[in-house]
Amino acid sequence: MSDFDREVDLSRVWTSVAGEVWRRHPGPVERLAARLLRSPGLARALLTTPSLLLPWLISTAVIFLAGGLISVNGAEPLVWLLAPGIAAIGIAYSYGPGIDPAWELACSMPVSDRMVLLVRAVAVFTVNAVLGLAISGLCYLALSHFVAMAAAITFAWLIPMTAISTLTLAVAVTTRSANIGAAAGISAWACVVIASWTTTGAFAAAVTNAMNYLPYLAVAICATVVLGYATRTQRGAL
Amino acid sequence: MSTANIELTSVTRTFGRNRAVDGVSLDAGPGVLGLLGPNGAGKTSLLRMLATVLPPTSGQIRLLDRDPGHTTERRDIRRRLGYLPQNLGYYPAFTVVEFIEYFALLKEVPPRRVPQAVAAAVERVDLGAKARSRLRTLSGGMLRRVGIAQAIVNDPQLLLLDEPTAGLDPEQRVGFRALLRALGETATVVVSTHLVEDVGAACSEVALMDTGHIVFRGTPAELIAAGEGHEVGDAPLERGYSAVLQAARNGSVAA
Amino acid sequence: MNDDELITRLAGGDDRALRELFSRHAPVLAVRLRAVLPPSDVEDVLQETFLAVWKGAGSYRPEAKAGGWLWGIARRQAALLLRRRGPAAAPLPDLLTQNDPAESVVSQASLASAVATLSPAEHEVWQLMYVQDRPLAEVAELTGVPEGTVKSRAHRARRLLRAALGGIQ
Repeated sequence: MSDFDREVDLSRVWTSVAGEVWRRHPGPVERLAARLLRSPGLARALLTTPSLLLPWLISTAVIFLAGGLISVNGAEPLVWLLAPGIAAIGIAYSYGPGIDPAWELACSMPVSDRMVLLVRAVAVFTVNAVLGLAISGLCYLALSHFVAMAAAITFAWLIPMTAISTLTLAVAVTTRSANIGAAAGISAWACVVIASWTTTGAFAAAVTNAMNYLPYLAVAICATVVLGYATRTQRGAL
Repeated sequence: MSTANIELTSVTRTFGRNRAVDGVSLDAGPGVLGLLGPNGAGKTSLLRMLATVLPPTSGQIRLLDRDPGHTTERRDIRRRLGYLPQNLGYYPAFTVVEFIEYFALLKEVPPRRVPQAVAAAVERVDLGAKARSRLRTLSGGMLRRVGIAQAIVNDPQLLLLDEPTAGLDPEQRVGFRALLRALGETATVVVSTHLVEDVGAACSEVALMDTGHIVFRGTPAELIAAGEGHEVGDAPLERGYSAVLQAARNGSVAA
Repeated sequence: MNDDELITRLAGGDDRALRELFSRHAPVLAVRLRAVLPPSDVEDVLQETFLAVWKGAGSYRPEAKAGGWLWGIARRQAALLLRRRGPAAAPLPDLLTQNDPAESVVSQASLASAVATLSPAEHEVWQLMYVQDRPLAEVAELTGVPEGTVKSRAHRARRLLRAALGGIQ
């Protein structure tokens, strides 16, 4: 009897209609990401990463391609030189207080800001690594007959790239500025390359010199520790 | 099993040598609690601690009968929390519904319910005609309403609003107060504001903060009563406000 | 902005036009539907109606009148809803065949007088089964008679109503 006597609730009707009319339909990539990450919110956050948007990806691919094409003239492909720098910039502009205007709000979300930061940084790094490896690998295959190409040039830049990326992210988060993080990453890499040239005479020694690998890994680990502290989950009482 | 949604015990927050919040104890159940006080009184820091964004330096916090110090409990709290910071940034390219939906997803609102929840929130803040407009095309008052909408989209049990009426014209503020009263029927709403008249119309209780302490806790009527005979202030609530502040600063602190 | 312009706009994807159309026409449609359906059904039908409007606005011809066009969609949605419920609810679509608002007023009055011709038992079954939309088993339990008896009373009620309303088409 109570349902029979009540008024028709037109605002509820409109809310249902509007919900359908206004809704956003996630694409197949987002739906897949939501299943893999087991969180629709995390998937949405991942796919709205500023440095994973199409224009950015296209620019990155073009730069890598240019670096690879340099080798056509007989010089070594420059992917090894470009990748750490580009990854650093991409990661600095992926998330964090320096780039997200709604950072304060993001910190109050059940999908933690730390998870979003991690997922985005890993995604940006992976995308850059894959692009770099693809170009680099192609050059290796195409040119290995004509030019003696060290495997190090082709692949070993992943190690400094890890170090520079984690360093950039740590600086960006602690200084709350994406620009400072990117600048720190680029300058660090530039210093390493120039130092390699000063000591060994070859720029590429930054990647080919195996003695550098351990220091790179040390930097990556330290930066990760700093990141962990800077994004630490809040305790009830410190 | 308590009905209080907020239980603070001697909560202190320091930034370097500055004691932003100093030994605050506060309990709050369903209803609208107005948080008044001059700039620098510690209102924003208190609100940030309630929003689980900032940990206290010392003291106990219990929200929605859970401890925000534990990761899983903190997630539970955050799912049922709504927060509007004083300066909420916006993503200019997002539309109103995209922005609200983004935070609905981050608040882990079940995906099936998201479209309806977003539509309901948009209509509640009277932005139905602007639902698919990009945020960069909206005025300051409309942006504030978008902020309120994202705070209520998950039907929160604990709603924290820091200066929510900034940029709203008087008519919008009236509508907003009606919204607050409706929300306060089932949830605990904490509204931090320096606009005394907002408090009088919508709040069932008022707390006054000064230099990190709570110097008054009671109903708006009691605050008015405290202002009897006081000269500073154009309206009864303002007189009560300045009377209590003056008394607190002169050393006689009301609990 | 008149209704025709609104419908043209919403056919082009303007959700604000749909909102305006809703605020103009939903109350009237709600009243007309309420004459034959309980509130929750009215809400469901209205929801389906306006979603159908959103998707199918391209088929609107400006010579038609928006009110009549909307009512046509609403009737179809109501019929669909009742058909989903099962054969017991079949008679009601007959009562939704009027296009003209004036006619529906007449049919409401004649519906009332037709219902008045039912015996108390048939009237009770009519109320419970068709107005309150309760399932057969529940009606049997509420009236304290076997389901077979409920079914035959419902059948008699439908026949009487159809006869009483048959003069008005």
